[in-house]
Amino acid sequence: MTETGRRVRLLLVTAALGLALTGLVVQLVHLHLWGKPEQRENVVQDRILHEPIRVHRGMIVDNSTPSMIVAIDWPCVDVCADPKLIQLTNRVPQVARELARILPELDALALEKRLRLPDRRFERVAQQVTTNVAAQLASLKLPGVFTTPVVVRRYPQGATLCHVLGYVNAEGVGSAGLEQSLESLLRGKPGEIVGFRDGRRHELTDRRIAETAATNGADVALTIDQQLQFMVERALDTVMERHHPDAAWAIVERVKTGEILAMACRPNYDPNNFRASTDLQRMNRAIANIYEPGSTFKVATIVAALDQGVVTPETPVDCENGRWWYQGKVLRDTHSYGVLSVADVLQKSSNIGAAKIAIVLGNAQLAAYLKALHFGHRLGIDLPGEEGGIVHPLAEWSSISSSRIAMGQGVAVTSLQMLGLICCIANGGAYMKPYVVRNVTADDGNKVRRENRPCVLANPIKAATAVMMREMLVRVTEPGGTGLRAAVPGYRVAGKTGTGQKVIGGNYSETDYMSSFVGFLPADKPEIGLIVVVDNPQPLHTGGMVAAPAFSEIAEQAMRYLDVPKSPPPLVMAGRP
Amino acid sequence: MARVHDMWRLWLRQNWWMTAAIVALLAVGVLFIHSATHLRTDRTRFLDIQQIRWAMGGMAVYWAAMWLDYRRLRDAAWVLYGLVVALLVAVLLVGTKIYGARRWLMAFGMAVQPSELAKLAVIVALATWLAARGRDARPPSLWKAFALAALPMALILKEPDLGTTLVFVPITMAMLFTGGASWRPLLALIVAGALAVTALLSLVLLPEMLDMRPERQEALFHRIGLSHYQRDRIEVFLRPDSDPLGAGWNRRQSEIAIGSGGMWGRGYMQGRQNLLGFLPRTVSPTDFIFAVIAEETGFAGAAALLGLYVVLLGCGLMAALQAPDLMGRVLCVGITTLIFSHVFINVAMTGGLLPVTGIPLPLVSYGGTFLVSTLFTLGLVQSVHVRKAG
Repeated sequence: MTETGRRVRLLLVTAALGLALTGLVVQLVHLHLWGKPEQRENVVQDRILHEPIRVHRGMIVDNSTPSMIVAIDWPCVDVCADPKLIQLTNRVPQVARELARILPELDALALEKRLRLPDRRFERVAQQVTTNVAAQLASLKLPGVFTTPVVVRRYPQGATLCHVLGYVNAEGVGSAGLEQSLESLLRGKPGEIVGFRDGRRHELTDRRIAETAATNGADVALTIDQQLQFMVERALDTVMERHHPDAAWAIVERVKTGEILAMACRPNYDPNNFRASTDLQRMNRAIANIYEPGSTFKVATIVAALDQGVVTPETPVDCENGRWWYQGKVLRDTHSYGVLSVADVLQKSSNIGAAKIAIVLGNAQLAAYLKALHFGHRLGIDLPGEEGGIVHPLAEWSSISSSRIAMGQGVAVTSLQMLGLICCIANGGAYMKPYVVRNVTADDGNKVRRENRPCVLANPIKAATAVMMREMLVRVTEPGGTGLRAAVPGYRVAGKTGTGQKVIGGNYSETDYMSSFVGFLPADKPEIGLIVVVDNPQPLHTGGMVAAPAFSEIAEQAMRYLDVPKSPPPLVMAGRP
Repeated sequence: MARVHDMWRLWLRQNWWMTAAIVALLAVGVLFIHSATHLRTDRTRFLDIQQIRWAMGGMAVYWAAMWLDYRRLRDAAWVLYGLVVALLVAVLLVGTKIYGARRWLMAFGMAVQPSELAKLAVIVALATWLAARGRDARPPSLWKAFALAALPMALILKEPDLGTTLVFVPITMAMLFTGGASWRPLLALIVAGALAVTALLSLVLLPEMLDMRPERQEALFHRIGLSHYQRDRIEVFLRPDSDPLGAGWNRRQSEIAIGSGGMWGRGYMQGRQNLLGFLPRTVSPTDFIFAVIAEETGFAGAAALLGLYVVLLGCGLMAALQAPDLMGRVLCVGITTLIFSHVFINVAMTGGLLPVTGIPLPLVSYGGTFLVSTLFTLGLVQSVHVRKAG
């Protein structure tokens, strides 16, 4: 090979290198100068971070002093693990053991199996662990174990008040009770951080673009008094135990204002663990269960007749010795009576007497009063799921309708409506709208978002009628009345028993009853109205035997708790010659 | 005294363009290593300072190599070759595993990559061998020359380090070609190489295209000897969007970095891909330093950098052209091709033209062993240059 040949070869090598280099430059030009702008945009978008700022759902407090928290957002952590990482450290059994030691609900062996899953990068070990436990875990520095903060809705009082409060579902949306109806206020508005993030997806805080502050959810204050609520719940538990009913519920209302002081139902559920509950448990029967009221409805009939002036308490009514044929159908009384005054009809709860009063009053008048007394309509309480009950339109009434409605058959009501009626009488004829939310405030109470004030729904009866009726109702709990067991020592109690036959398969059942007692006290200066309804108690089933004692139990405690002065002793005609 | 005087005269005779290009490239390297790491808080924060130390030591080695008469390498060539082969074997036995590859020997608290020394040893050995052959009238035997290169290549491939192995191919070819090997076997070799690459690619792609079961694919690849990560990288290269967050991440991010540089770049220490950690921190001052430079200085800067390499390589080729003997010429060609291969593979990899292989950018990427060995080889080029006739 000649020197020239070698030089040529060298030049060829040079040329080859040059060619390769040119190719490289072409690619660089391509990337640098012809990079697609939209691709660059995408790159920028990739780097922008939108991170929501979590808001706290408002808390719910009761009306006692100091107020008690009944629903609150609780910061917790979920304990998670990276099984692959733990496997790499060869410490799976130790990690599982330590975790099971700190979180006793875990089984070390089962956990170990989960941590041994191949190629898993994420495993949720335990949910909703308190921050104390989380700190304890963190101090152990277990490899591949980490926590993510979560907020859970907690109901510190457990199942108490569950039907009023409702619960928040797994997505954080209120799904029953106040949590549902006040969702928009409780939820607040999440904020957002917009900024740049780095390759590890962490935010670069010094380059934050925008930060929208979160608006925390508003806090709700209830009219419910947790102490009273507790008394009511305990009384219902007693009823459930003693009388084996399908269900039982009670409402306490402040007569003057319509504030609901307590509302409880059985069966109930724990909203902290709402998943374990059934629809039947979640039903707020106090407002959503309609039933034939039975004798308690005689109050409506008689108050209408009194108000209309067609009868007075002294008007005699022939009770036909317990059997009365009317329009080809027989009507019976439990006990047979001869001629009773209207007041006695109420005290003894005579069906025949009530029917005759209704007939005297007339269909149109009765229907008008029922409407004025809000039967058949929702009262508009600030809870979801309220029912309006059933009162058939006047046009559809048969010849015996009024006689049956008079004693609480052929109508369906909610216990809230029955309580509304009794409170209306107690309140001198002014029908107060019932409510459970006192107010909704934001910013630690500085901004009022919603406030309920006492509101008169209607004035269906005259004050004089109310006073008359009040005295008549007191006699129900006095010797000779059906509601003797509802009496409270030291207080005059006005009220009415009810024992409605339940309709089973289109006929009135001889075994299933709806027992109730509705009343108020003290009769002279009414403070609270109270209704107790017991669904299908066995074997005792009358309102006087089942609901009245519960009424008495609750009322007595409530009087003491609310520090209501005792009723003046009955006038004794002392010194009379 | 005379000796010192001679050394001074030799020093003055060095190719100053080349030295200037080297110093400029070193400076660029330090500057952008600083840019890539200045926001860090860990040990790697001071890679720039370390690189300065390496660079100063490297320059000393560079000039020492210049004073060293390359012809004396003839005597050391086989010793060096044997030593390197021994080191490569040692690395396979007792080397430190980093990221799944056994490439490093820990000695005296330093990590040494014997494969870097292997490049030098093979070049010197080949040059020596070709120079000895050159006196014959017959063209040197290609197969023997390739056998010479093949042994270290095989050992390096076993580490595994596919990128470095492939660097040997152009070096050997260029040296043989300039050394006077016949055209035909060389051409045959090139064709065979092309076929081999095609076969490899189809092996990677075909089994999946033919719906082969994963276990059978696995067994097949095991038999061929392609490791998992090699296959992944080839796949990612061929189908970059198949796994944009996994193995394709580096490649995609470096392309974005270059693309976001535009004509004039984002400004020194302003490269977002780099600063925000989209270019992985482990590689931004080393294998992907070009992406940092391209993003921050744009096409202008990247082209200027390549210009510096062109000056450097041009000086190498000039030295080859003017070399007083065949050994010097082949040596210079080998070294020039070595540098070129690194630059080419690195830039092409950063720019998405080649699969990602761990090939650093000579004189610029952070890394001590490679820097010093590169400067030593460049010193050898100067050694040839200063001894040119006339």
